[in-house]
Amino acid sequence: MTTSNQHAEIARAIQAAPLLSPIANQLLQVTARADHEMKEIIDLVKCDSLLTARILRVVNSAAMGLVHQISSVDHAVSYLGERLVVGIAIAECTNEFFGKPLEGYEGESGQLWRHELFTAIASRAVARHARAPLPADLAFTAGLLHDIGKAILSEFLRGTSNELVADIAQGNTTDYLTGEQERVGLDHSEVGFELSQHWKLPESLRQVIRHHHHPDAAEITLRPLVYAVHLGDILAMMGGHGTGSDSMKYHLQQGYTDHFTISKDELALLLLECNEEFRKVESSLASIKET
Amino acid sequence: MSQMVLGIGDLGASNQPDAEIKTYALGSCIAVVLLDPQTRTVGMVHVALPESKINLIKAKEKPGYFADTGVPLLLQEMARHGCQPKGKGLIIKLAGGAAIMDHNDTFNIGKRNLLAIKKILWSYGLGPRSEDVGGTFSRTVSVSVKTGEVILSSPGRPNWKI
Repeated sequence: MTTSNQHAEIARAIQAAPLLSPIANQLLQVTARADHEMKEIIDLVKCDSLLTARILRVVNSAAMGLVHQISSVDHAVSYLGERLVVGIAIAECTNEFFGKPLEGYEGESGQLWRHELFTAIASRAVARHARAPLPADLAFTAGLLHDIGKAILSEFLRGTSNELVADIAQGNTTDYLTGEQERVGLDHSEVGFELSQHWKLPESLRQVIRHHHHPDAAEITLRPLVYAVHLGDILAMMGGHGTGSDSMKYHLQQGYTDHFTISKDELALLLLECNEEFRKVESSLASIKET
Repeated sequence: MSQMVLGIGDLGASNQPDAEIKTYALGSCIAVVLLDPQTRTVGMVHVALPESKINLIKAKEKPGYFADTGVPLLLQEMARHGCQPKGKGLIIKLAGGAAIMDHNDTFNIGKRNLLAIKKILWSYGLGPRSEDVGGTFSRTVSVSVKTGEVILSSPGRPNWKI
């Protein structure tokens, strides 16, 4: 297939991708605004009975370890925090999209979701080390969506991973992103950006998805957020939560030091904390699938 | 065949001939594999970080998480299975410790894990017979008690032995 034909096929796949639910989209729009309040989130949740039920199920799951059951939406949303509420709304409507095997990356079923979730947790943790205040919950949401392009591109990369891995090992290709471009003319960040436009995601999330491997290309005011996800993505791969054959085959952009101060010991602690939180959140979100 | 799957910071040993010990997707983590030809016992620990001093509570709860607490505990576990104390006569193999491309010192936890593991092994007068560490790829490690073969796999590569 020629590259232009593949572009057309990829564009068709993006148009055919399942849309986010209206409630997930509304939550993303509200939480991307710097001046939003928790009450707006609670009000949105209350309008959606299915999401309300899911949130109550998660907050009362064994993994949360609560002594007393929570039955009010206000209390549940406050307890979980906006990041987990958004996470539940996204998980609920993207189960099939994020859950399918990434054949083009030799990734197993559920591996993309676990990578997105670990990156979300790590991006939020990294945000705490920012030189200037950074909305940590927005970093979580951005981390949760940063690799959506892989769900589309994977199909077009089928059968390429052995050759691509060998090319990188032999120094013929600089990294996996370049390898994707060489094979199908687009990489997963570009495809993800196209999908983010189709999904009408807020501009800040689109910028993260587009530039998470090259944060310096992002608009200057959004660079700290994009760098937080860049580092969160790397921590996920270091922690064994990559998406398959591409794991660790991306460059660390040293410009992160302009926006974050992280020592060796702090990074080790970050990884430890992220592993702990990942186990807890993954387990509590799994209760959604049991319904 | 019985399979013992180790998560991050887990450790285990077995002398059951039909057993296999396995750990998935090591990024910067390192699997320390111990093989005892005398008792035909195999042990493994999935080390995530070099030093326990950064979180002593976690080290107490899950010693295998750190090189300096995980390796001594694995040696004890091997002794519990009839191996000689302090690792005498054991064959040691290491796998993992990958790093992202263009990493700096801060992000090279894999290398710090490797140095910490070797340091604690040296304190017992031990060292690895073989190792497959570093690079920019994740590794899954499995060891068969019956054959003692240490098999590595990584997406996009054929399996290999160390």
